[in-house]
Amino acid sequence: MTVAGLFAVALAIALPAMTSALSQAWATSKAMESMSRQPEAAGDMRTALLIALAFMEALTLFSFVIAILLWTSL
Amino acid sequence: MDRIVQQLNEVMDHLVRFDVLHIGPVTITSTVINTWIVMIVLFAAVKLLTRGGFHEKPRGAQVFIEMLVEFLYGLLEGAMGKHGRKYLWIVGSLFVFILAMNLSWFIPGFVPPTTDIMTTAALAITTIVLTHVMGIKEKTFRGYLHNYVSPVVIMLPMNILEEIVKPFSLAIRLFGNMFGEKTVVTILAVLVPVVLPVPVMMLGLLMGFIQAFIFTLLTCTYLATQTHGH
Repeated sequence: MTVAGLFAVALAIALPAMTSALSQAWATSKAMESMSRQPEAAGDMRTALLIALAFMEALTLFSFVIAILLWTSL
Repeated sequence: MDRIVQQLNEVMDHLVRFDVLHIGPVTITSTVINTWIVMIVLFAAVKLLTRGGFHEKPRGAQVFIEMLVEFLYGLLEGAMGKHGRKYLWIVGSLFVFILAMNLSWFIPGFVPPTTDIMTTAALAITTIVLTHVMGIKEKTFRGYLHNYVSPVVIMLPMNILEEIVKPFSLAIRLFGNMFGEKTVVTILAVLVPVVLPVPVMMLGLLMGFIQAFIFTLLTCTYLATQTHGH
């Protein structure tokens, strides 16, 4: 495996992980804020938050699968 | 360094499925055998838990089962109201089965079936086909087709694309999380065999619960969109 190939695999997993971590952090902090402001609606917010987090997580996982494919094909 | 890489390759080879036996054109892989083991354990557990029969005042294992059912009813009612209770059989069996497969990780030397993309792909495709069947059953074929052109006709390609993407995202989410977790623990165990993998394995326990929960939650949402429109 060449050095460039290694970098490609590393970046393919690192960049999406970074960005999706940032977006998840943003969504979670907003949800926490509104939960503490309105504790009686916390249950609904938790469900909505989990669905949103799952969709953001999916992007990282797609790139994880692509990174594995890259790694095995190199 | 070379020693570590070699060790890592050996351990990673253990995670990949291999063929066990051939019956005609059908190949039985190690994943299938592992799934059967999980199923046998699950059947035995269910048989043992429901042995006491039904009590008006719940006690023993019935309390545990009622807690689980209440939790799933909560999910379904959140997605589609009181009406959603009749879909308990889809959501409940999915949750229990995926949870058992995820937690089978803690049997020593056992490769959990969910770290193989074939298992998760089969689960995801079955779930999506079931949601479509339920949609047709609930709203007749006309209403089901109307789903694709709502709210406006221009959305047709988008809606079709969404339906194609759904099984992929379900399968890859479950597989990626479980496989990633397993890989991280394996690499840590090769690099530092003492103590350090334990907290990450605790995280794996949490991850097993959360992934089973997310899968059922998304199934509820997809069922709601199919049976009650957008």
